[in-house]
Amino acid sequence: MMKAVSTLATVRRIALAMCLLLGGLIGSTAAHAEYGDIVINNYSDEAGMRPAIFPHWFHRIRFRCKVCHADLGFKFQAGGNKINMLKIIDGEFCGACHNGEIAWSPENCNLCHSGKPGTPTQVHHSTVQKLVDRK
Amino acid sequence: MLVTIFKRSAQAALLASFSFAAVAADDLAAGKGIYDKACFACHKSGVMGAPKLGVKEDWQVRVDQGRKTLLDHALNGLNSMPARGGNPALSDADITNAVAYMVDAAGLKLDGGAAKAAAAKPVEKKAPVKPVAKAEPKAEPKAKSAPVAAAKPKPTVKFNRLMKSADEWNPPPAEDGIHDPDNEGVVLLQSPREGMQGFAPGISGNRVDWVKTLEAGTINPRFDRLDPTKKPFVMDLNIVREVKGSMPDVVYPHKQHTEWLDCSNCHPDIFVPKKGANQISMAAILLGQKCGVCHGKVAFPVTECKRCHSKSKKSVAFKE
Repeated sequence: MMKAVSTLATVRRIALAMCLLLGGLIGSTAAHAEYGDIVINNYSDEAGMRPAIFPHWFHRIRFRCKVCHADLGFKFQAGGNKINMLKIIDGEFCGACHNGEIAWSPENCNLCHSGKPGTPTQVHHSTVQKLVDRK
Repeated sequence: MLVTIFKRSAQAALLASFSFAAVAADDLAAGKGIYDKACFACHKSGVMGAPKLGVKEDWQVRVDQGRKTLLDHALNGLNSMPARGGNPALSDADITNAVAYMVDAAGLKLDGGAAKAAAAKPVEKKAPVKPVAKAEPKAEPKAKSAPVAAAKPKPTVKFNRLMKSADEWNPPPAEDGIHDPDNEGVVLLQSPREGMQGFAPGISGNRVDWVKTLEAGTINPRFDRLDPTKKPFVMDLNIVREVKGSMPDVVYPHKQHTEWLDCSNCHPDIFVPKKGANQISMAAILLGQKCGVCHGKVAFPVTECKRCHSKSKKSVAFKE
């Protein structure tokens, strides 16, 4: 009996997963930005700023992944780095390059803070977003 | 039925509007503005067979087809040319001006060819009826013959209507759905199509095969933040993972990964550097774990099965 119940649960779980998968692959979202664009909205909305958008494509043309993800300590997680302007001005995270020497300085607020207000933190157009987050 | 009526009236409206544009003089200066914003991405360098700006031979064949056909292709798309250059926000007049500008730049005239001028005229006559007349269904029978004829040459049929065509990928930031077009900073951002021009084409993600692009030397991203001469420590070691069922086994190449990444990016947090110590499943990858930490986010997604599942199994003789 117990076994039958657990089998049923498994079947249900698989069915749910399939639905999610199909839903994710078929349902097209209105937004369709660049693959790998990261929206970071940890503090922006509260602070009355537009969320920041990080375009991976633009940066990977210039730097290999390792530079940011190993040397600068960026975790592989959207919004997982708790970046704030203080850290950037101190030369951490984005500020390691965006200091007016390697790249433009953080005074150009709206080049990063360029997202639609209220856009949640996400890896835009990622598989996870399509399957799970559905944002 | 209702849908067809809608379609027809939409077609009629479109027809009407662009024959109106035909009446108005083409504004070359405005056309240049539109060209610089949208068309240049393909028409400057001739991406995917696009007629190049200033190349007469490219444009002659198009102009020979007549103004109506040329504008119809620009507005509704043809082959690689997306409808309205992929920017639905552009008006009929914008497109007409941009076409006129490009034709002019090739030393040609958009109205060229007497036969075409004649072909365009009947439409112009019909046009004034429609915008005035509110009873569109009435005008419909008249419009019928023209749209059907016009509809034939435009191959809007896609391989799969659920999949985006190549022209819909990599939209400029202002149209990508996450950037705020009201933010003045957005216009300063480089458009991905422009930034990734000439890269090895891919079939998913941002339609770039980054591994090939790097191998070909099209890009040379720094391995060190400050030192452009620093070279990556490339490790050429393939790991073969046998998988269940008839799916080909996975070959994991360290080489392509170490071109971009440092060992510490993956080991030991994501993958324990020991044979047999890592449980990897497609479910985990789809949910953003293991390979899915990058693949499906910034590296090619799981839809490209065979790039990982690349080692076919030896066929086993079937026994009863």
